[in-house]
Amino acid sequence: MNISKHIEYTLLTPTTTEREIIDLCYEAIQNDFYSVCINSSYVALASQLLENSPTKVCSVVGFPFGAMSTDAKVFEAKKAIEDGAEEIEMVINLGFLKSKNYVSVLKDISDVKMAIGNTTLKVILEISELNKNEIIKACEICLDANVDFIKTSSGFSKGGATLTATKIIKKTIKDSAKITASGDIEDLETSMKYLEVGVHRIGFNALLNKKAKKARPIS
Amino acid sequence: MTHLSSYIDHTLLKPTATKAEIIQLCEEAKKFRFFSVCTNSYFTSLAKEHTQNSNVKVCTVVGFPLGAMSTEAKIYETIQALKDGADEIDMVINLGLLKAKDYTGVIRDIASVKNRLPNQVLKVIIETCYLTEDEIITASELTIKAGADFIKTSTGFGPHGATIEHVRLMKSIAKDHAKIKASGGIKDFKTAIEYIKLGVDRIGTSAGITIVTGK
Repeated sequence: MNISKHIEYTLLTPTTTEREIIDLCYEAIQNDFYSVCINSSYVALASQLLENSPTKVCSVVGFPFGAMSTDAKVFEAKKAIEDGAEEIEMVINLGFLKSKNYVSVLKDISDVKMAIGNTTLKVILEISELNKNEIIKACEICLDANVDFIKTSSGFSKGGATLTATKIIKKTIKDSAKITASGDIEDLETSMKYLEVGVHRIGFNALLNKKAKKARPIS
Repeated sequence: MTHLSSYIDHTLLKPTATKAEIIQLCEEAKKFRFFSVCTNSYFTSLAKEHTQNSNVKVCTVVGFPLGAMSTEAKIYETIQALKDGADEIDMVINLGLLKAKDYTGVIRDIASVKNRLPNQVLKVIIETCYLTEDEIITASELTIKAGADFIKTSTGFGPHGATIEHVRLMKSIAKDHAKIKASGGIKDFKTAIEYIKLGVDRIGTSAGITIVTGK
């Protein structure tokens, strides 16, 4: 099976340079990855580099804490789309979720969703910070907000995707939204396990990829 | 020496912080007369509400903790924070631009935010843990050139926080052109005093109560 079309090729390290973004885009084209996933300051550059390729640009928003004001998330998302982003990946407001202020969690997501129209919206739950009930609740709120994807992890907390949490997400959302599993997924074998439980895409860290020199084997 | 508590930005930035924890943070800041409370931007209005009628200022982080969001988004997050009542803004420098030696881009990122502040204080977090000594010097110079009020060491979410050596280096550049905020891993009275003796004007910490009470 060719899984390259399921790969979101990701580089979110804060020290990332222009040169590294150029390499990232080049590798994504070479490997026919679905998208590159980057911070919003590099969206214009990546869009320019990927203009004539099928690889899409995905911009993170409110990343990695999800703790910025809703209005700022909306603005960051709109600006990213203006710069060429075709997908937006926002982090859920964990503080509101933990406070059981579900109305505000929903509003935070819905406001971004409404602002970006038909652009794909993914919401990162950061499962390493959540218990089972919180994961279920977060999924239900995401469905209420009509998001397109639920993503497990930012890659900047104490842990990434787990099969257990991914199965809980899948069971809750069924086919009403898709899933990206991300964080700590380093090889083809692990990726396959996630695809088998119904995950649609895999967030694949370009730095891990470089370390393991797996750019070619993965595709 | 000014009272120790007035050096402290009482800080709670973990993404899972709840409303109740922020209210408690504000109550503690008032009780111990800390300089400010430092929070993520979605809690700015709540923090303002709970520090009203006190001298405690509200400090909001912007582009936090990676500093990698677009300049325009940092500007907007700042404008919204000001509307919500922020007195001070702690923004993270764009580390990627700094590493790529795109110094015009670094200055533009900072100055664009500074220009939106009528008279509020701007601190720039240079995240020293990712920088070489030369990069710390350059980041400090660029921060001053862009018109910021403070150079701040750390987000508290990188591999490590402030060090005495880095602060000494920053101070040698800043002189009287900018103030210094040391943050990340400052958890006791002795360490706090060491930084203040070096000429630091502010300390960012979640251990403010331990520092001022010695408990």
